[in-house]
Amino acid sequence: MRARFGIVAAILAAIATPAAAAEKASVGALAFVSSAPIFIAKEKGYFERQGLDVEVKFFQAAQPIAVAVASGDVDFGITGLTGGFFNLAAKGALKMVAAQSREEPGFNFVGYLVTPKAYEAGFKTVKDYPGKTVGITTVGSTFHYNIGMLADKYGFKLSDVSLKPLQTVPNMVAAMKGGQVDSILLPANQALGLERDGAGKIIGWVHEHTPWQLGALFTSTSNTTAKRSTVQKFVDAYVMACADYAAAFHDRDASGKRVFGPKADALIPILQKYVKPEPNADQVKASVSFIDPQGRLMVRDLYNQVAWYKAQGMVDASADAKTMMDLGFLKQHLDLPN
Amino acid sequence: MPAEKQPVPFRGAGFDPTPRRFASWIAFAGILLAWQAASSTGLLPELFMPSPDAVLSALARMSASGELWLHLGTSIRRIVLGFLLGAFAGLLLGLAMGIFSMARAVGLPIVSALFPIPKIALLPLLILWFGIGETSKVATIALGVFFPTAVAAKTAVDGVARNLIRMAQSFGTPASAIVWKIVLPGALPGILGGLRIAASIALILVTAAEMIGAEYGVGALVLGAGNLMQTDKLVAGVVLLSLMGLAVSFGIGLLERRLLRWR
Repeated sequence: MRARFGIVAAILAAIATPAAAAEKASVGALAFVSSAPIFIAKEKGYFERQGLDVEVKFFQAAQPIAVAVASGDVDFGITGLTGGFFNLAAKGALKMVAAQSREEPGFNFVGYLVTPKAYEAGFKTVKDYPGKTVGITTVGSTFHYNIGMLADKYGFKLSDVSLKPLQTVPNMVAAMKGGQVDSILLPANQALGLERDGAGKIIGWVHEHTPWQLGALFTSTSNTTAKRSTVQKFVDAYVMACADYAAAFHDRDASGKRVFGPKADALIPILQKYVKPEPNADQVKASVSFIDPQGRLMVRDLYNQVAWYKAQGMVDASADAKTMMDLGFLKQHLDLPN
Repeated sequence: MPAEKQPVPFRGAGFDPTPRRFASWIAFAGILLAWQAASSTGLLPELFMPSPDAVLSALARMSASGELWLHLGTSIRRIVLGFLLGAFAGLLLGLAMGIFSMARAVGLPIVSALFPIPKIALLPLLILWFGIGETSKVATIALGVFFPTAVAAKTAVDGVARNLIRMAQSFGTPASAIVWKIVLPGALPGILGGLRIAASIALILVTAAEMIGAEYGVGALVLGAGNLMQTDKLVAGVVLLSLMGLAVSFGIGLLERRLLRWR
């Protein structure tokens, strides 16, 4: 009896020791496929190998993650970049350290969806946006920015598009089904689903018109100074997971069509474990966006984003993109401005 | 026999609210000064709470660009329209419930059942029925105003002194004249009290109504600023809402003084 107790105690001690030695860190994420590198790094033990005990905290929206990182409630955050994020970063609270998804030519991520009625009436390309009503989640959201980029590229005035903030994606879908808006923007998985149901027509993908850096891994400014080595370890593990992700999900055949091999099949169960509501394998394949294999940020594009938000009056004129990132955790980033 | 007199101190003071015109202003200014001082010294980081100075300059910027007036005008139109619709319908039903037994028997249970439903919870339904345009926003406010007005009107009619009505009847006054000359004036203080509450509810609901599909309006301004983390604009919007609340309270006070002069 006593001997058995001794064995149990020894096992417990063995389990407890590495955990006690590991440094604790937390990351705020959405339960979306786009947070994949975090899930992969955790499940494959990359964080553990760096000596980090990482807790993933799930949030319902991107904004609260940025707020939680700024206030120190979580150490890292990974989300799409919005006007709200840039405003918090402009106040010196946040620093981007590595890349999340980006709109990369050839990789469907967010699509422009129009109602069948508007399509019939001639709303067939993104150049037809002026004069139309578009449902977005909120002012300063990535959807808002997507339409803004179209306006800049094709030379129409953003004010000629009537943007309706509807707060949530389900509201956007409902407004489109009810014909109260002419168009919405949706991630591929949902956009394709609606097109299959005959509720909408996809008239294009964002990557075909305006490739851009959609999301980032970020931490608080105080972490980049006071806990620099922890941030470095976290980023190293994250980048290893990005490489796995890219090897599994970035393959395309000679015609440019995406193909998913055994490496993808191996990663899909990890994503299914974390993503809510749990997607099936096909839904995961329709949702996997492009994430830089080395986690590099498209820096010049980030400067452009900040400039756009400033021009719209959504981000304070004194904001400086340069202060919103710490590029020192990776050997190199992409597209550095001079 | 108690021959000697005992001195009795005057105990009748207090419990008698008298106007202290300057106290409220001084308290208000004190809070603002403390807030500004905390911001200026860095005790209150700009990240978590903008300084009064930043809020004022946000207001000034929006006023200069005309954005402020667009937001204010849009919201005021929605509030006035929704309030008038809701208050009119609520008054009709409330008075009917107060005067006619049949209306009360039918109306009261229905009103009691629907009153406690948070109108914000009905917003998705209202959007399905009325779309994301102006109609659903006005309808949300009108619904919110309707119930408290109806209940206040009914209660106010109940509170009219019955002996006055009986006296008028004994003089052979016709029923319509009793309603006009006794019931309505007698119920007016209660009705105005109800409208005061209803107006505050209208202000609360305009923010909720402007969550969905509103490009302009004070509620849309507050929500948009929240989404953008523009805390100075957010607090500026909140200041606007509270100024609107003060204006409404002042307006109803004026109405009370005018309509209730007979007291």
